[in-house]
Amino acid sequence: MVSWALHRLSGLALVAYLCLHIFVIHNLAYGPERFDRVMELLGSPAFKLMEIGLLGVILYHAFNGLRVIIIDFWGGTKIQKQLFWIMMVIAAALFVAGAAPIAGHLLNALAH
Amino acid sequence: MQKIRFRIKRFNPAKDRRPHFEDFTVEAEPETPVLDCLHEIKWHQDGTLAFRRSCGHAICGSCAMTINGQNRLACQTLVKNVGKNIIVEPLRSFPLEKDLIVNLDRFYERFYSIMPYFVNNSPPPDTERIQWPEDQELIDEAASCILCASCTSSCPSFWADDDYIGPSALLKAYRFIFDTRDQAQKERLALINTSKGPWKCHTIFNCNEACPKDIDITNAIARLKLKLNDL
Repeated sequence: MVSWALHRLSGLALVAYLCLHIFVIHNLAYGPERFDRVMELLGSPAFKLMEIGLLGVILYHAFNGLRVIIIDFWGGTKIQKQLFWIMMVIAAALFVAGAAPIAGHLLNALAH
Repeated sequence: MQKIRFRIKRFNPAKDRRPHFEDFTVEAEPETPVLDCLHEIKWHQDGTLAFRRSCGHAICGSCAMTINGQNRLACQTLVKNVGKNIIVEPLRSFPLEKDLIVNLDRFYERFYSIMPYFVNNSPPPDTERIQWPEDQELIDEAASCILCASCTSSCPSFWADDDYIGPSALLKAYRFIFDTRDQAQKERLALINTSKGPWKCHTIFNCNEACPKDIDITNAIARLKLKLNDL
């Protein structure tokens, strides 16, 4: 049940992100200067940190979702717990690979 | 013999406005079933304690209750399975009648809604209706359901919406829809192909964890979804 509850919560977090994303993109309509100002704000360390969080949320939601799809279409109910941990290992590997460059940028920004 | 502490949820509709917990201590062996401890309490400590039980051998399904947070049969659960501090509550999401007894009308309504009986209008042969072993294997597990309501009561989709047919009734639908001798497959599939049917299952696995007969209920519901997809 915990995997499902986290799936729901990560889904809600993604909806919140989507709203923010659409808000950011809609600034394009007001010309390049305004869009650049918003993008500068998004380059700040706080947003970089949130970006790492976003990556984690997406990876959890995607790979647990994949597990549910596999179970619904092909079976695997008897090994659902093992499937969960296999998916989480893959997600964790991708998380490290993706978060490292962002963390690099973050440290750079903090150093300057 | 060891001292086992019980915290039992009590509710007397004639006196109480809401349920509360009461503590009892019982001497028991590690192999003593929780049901025997409840008998000890009812027979020697507090005769007003109300709970359902019948066979005491895990086949009638009457004594399903929430023991240490998980739905189990009290007769099948031994003290050593759940520890020395045991919390006993009535099954979740059904209306409370008294103490550990819940009203299962909703549960049986859902059960009857899927035509839970064998339909075959061809004239019966001289002997039984023959079936291949591999066809029987498909429904063997599902046919061993004892209707204890542990699964349906553990399902978050049912907590949110008790119009949901629920894992138990869907398992029963699976048992007949996948029975090669049955002829009412189409009618049953039509009955469950609603927003309150298998589509409400979110593959949470609480039903599988709760089932005292270890039936793979989530798998049965997933097979029903695929079957509906093929229509």
